[in-house]
Amino acid sequence: MLLMNKIRELFQAFHEKRLTSINISKIFVYLALIIGGILMMLPFFWMSLGAFKPVKEIMVFPPTFLPENPTLQNFVEVFERIPFVRYYLNTIFVTVIPTIVTVSTATLAGFGFAKYKFWGDKVLFWLILATMMIPYPVTIVPLYIMAFKAGLVDTYAGLIVVGLSSAFGIFLMRQFIINIPDDLLDAARIDGCSEFRIFFQIILPLTKPALVTLTLFTFTGHWNAYIWPLMIVSSDRLKTLSLAIPMFQGQYVYNPNLVFAASLMSLLPTIILFIFGQRYFVEGITLSGIKE
Amino acid sequence: MWKRKFNKWQRTLAPYFFIAPGFLFYMMVTFIPAIIGIWLSFTDWDIISPEAKFIGLKNYVNMLNDERFWTAIHNTVTYALGLIPGIVVFSLAIALLLNSKIKNITFFRTLFYLPVITPIAVASVIWIWIYHPRIGIMNWVIGLFGFDRINWLENPETVMISLIIMGIWLSVGARMIIYLAALQGIPRSYYEAAEIDGAGKWQCFWYITLPLLKPTTLFIVITTTIGSFGVFAQVNIMTQGGPVDRSLVLVYYIFQRAFSDLRMGYAAAMSVFLFVVTLVITLINWKLLGKDVTYE
Repeated sequence: MLLMNKIRELFQAFHEKRLTSINISKIFVYLALIIGGILMMLPFFWMSLGAFKPVKEIMVFPPTFLPENPTLQNFVEVFERIPFVRYYLNTIFVTVIPTIVTVSTATLAGFGFAKYKFWGDKVLFWLILATMMIPYPVTIVPLYIMAFKAGLVDTYAGLIVVGLSSAFGIFLMRQFIINIPDDLLDAARIDGCSEFRIFFQIILPLTKPALVTLTLFTFTGHWNAYIWPLMIVSSDRLKTLSLAIPMFQGQYVYNPNLVFAASLMSLLPTIILFIFGQRYFVEGITLSGIKE
Repeated sequence: MWKRKFNKWQRTLAPYFFIAPGFLFYMMVTFIPAIIGIWLSFTDWDIISPEAKFIGLKNYVNMLNDERFWTAIHNTVTYALGLIPGIVVFSLAIALLLNSKIKNITFFRTLFYLPVITPIAVASVIWIWIYHPRIGIMNWVIGLFGFDRINWLENPETVMISLIIMGIWLSVGARMIIYLAALQGIPRSYYEAAEIDGAGKWQCFWYITLPLLKPTTLFIVITTTIGSFGVFAQVNIMTQGGPVDRSLVLVYYIFQRAFSDLRMGYAAAMSVFLFVVTLVITLINWKLLGKDVTYE
C-alpha cells in the first residue's frame, strides 16, 4: 500500500512537472528495489499461493500465480497423510527447551565475563572466541560418536543436548552487560545485596532488549536446524519439521500443492517472529556481524 | 564478621558459577569433539568395533590419493568462487539502494532478509520445484529473456550454477544488513567535504565509500568463504551430490564416508583438512583486518 502511494505521488509529480533530477534518481532506486524485492519474494509467493491450489492448477507451464479455485483441501490432506501435528509438536519441543536453556546460560556467562575479574577470565573468554572459528563439519562426526557412546542417538535428549549454550549468545550478552555502569552494582553491594540477587534484580531487568534479540536468534536457529536432527534421529516419532518436509517431498513428488502447504505451515512461526521482532534481529546482526 | 567473610567468598566464587553452565555446555559440543576429531583422524575406527587402531597418517595419505576427495574439493571451491562475488555485488548493491534516504526501508529490508530465516530444509524443497524442468518458475523467468527450458538439477552442466543462485538468494540478506550498518557508520561530513571540492556522486562512491567499506567487504568475503565450505543441507536434499558427482561437495562427501561407509577416521581426516583450510583463511583475515580503517 505504501508503495502504491509512493508511485502515485511520483506520477503526480510527473504531471505537475515538479520532477527534478533528484526525483528521477529516486524512481530508479525504487524501481531497482521493487524488481529485486519481487525476485527475492518470488519463491515465497509461488509457494504460498500454490498451497491454496488444486494439483491441476500447479502442474502447468507457464506458471500461474493467483489460484483460480482457491482451496484449503491441501492443508487438510497434509494432516491426513502424515503425522504433521506430531512433527510440529516435536519441533516446538526441541526448539523451546534449548532456547530457554541457552538464553539462561548465555546471560549468566555473559554477566560473569562482563562484570567480574577472576583467575582465568581472559583465557576462558578467548577460548570461547577461538572455538567459534571451528567449522561445524569438524565437530559433528565426533559429536555423533559422543552421543552414540552416551546412548543418546534417536532420543529427545540427544536432539536437545547440543543446543544448551551458544558462543554467539555469551558474546552478545557480554557486549550488552558491559555497558551497565559498575556503580549500580557497587551500590547494591553496599546495601548488602548478594551477587545472585544483583543478577536477578539489577542485571536481568536492564538487559531486556538483548534478551529479546538472543531469544529470537536462538529460537529461529533451533527451529531451522537440519544437520544435527538428520544425524541423530532415525525413528519417525522423533522427526522435526526440517526432517519431515524433505521426506514428504520424496513421497509426494507429483503433489507440489501438498508439499507447499506443509512448507508454508512450517515456516510461518519464524516469519511471524521476524516481522514483529525485526528491530531486534537487525541489532543482533550488526552488533556481532555474525549469522550462521 | 561471619557475614563479611561469606560476602567476600561468594563474590570470588560467583563468577565461576555464572560462567560454568554456559562455558561447559559450549566446550562439550565444540572443543571436546574437535579434539576427539583430531585424534580420530589418525585411527581406522568404524564405530562398531570396540577399539580404534592407531594408523598414523594413513588416512591423510589415502585422502590425497582419493580422486573423489579432489572432485569434492574442486566442487566446493567452484561453489565458493561462484557464491562470493555474487553475494558481495548483490548485498552491496541492495545496501546502497537502501541507504539512499528512501522511506519504507524496514519493508524492503524484510523482503531481502526473509530467506535468511527460512528453514534450510524447507527452502531446499521449494527450490526443487523452482528448478523443476516442467513446471518450475526458474524456467519461466529465463523464458522471459528468451532462453529455452533447462533441467537445472539433473544436468551436470547446470547443477552447480543452480546451487550458487540458490545460495545467493539464501544469504544475500544477512550480508546486506552488515553492509548497511557499515554505510550508516560513514560520517556525512566526508561526503559534504568532497562535494565542496566538486566531487560527483560516482567519485564519492569510488574514492570514499568503497575504500571505507574494505574491512566490511573482507569480513563478508571471509564469512561467505567459510560458510560455502560448509554447504551441505541443500546438496543432501536437492541433488545428493549428483549428477555424476558434479555437486559432490566436501561436507557431503565427509558425511557419506562417515555414515554410509562408517569410515569415521577417514571422515575425521577430511574434517581436519577443512579445519586447517578455515584456520588459514581466518589468519589471513586477521592479518589483513589488522590494517583497519578508522574514521578519525
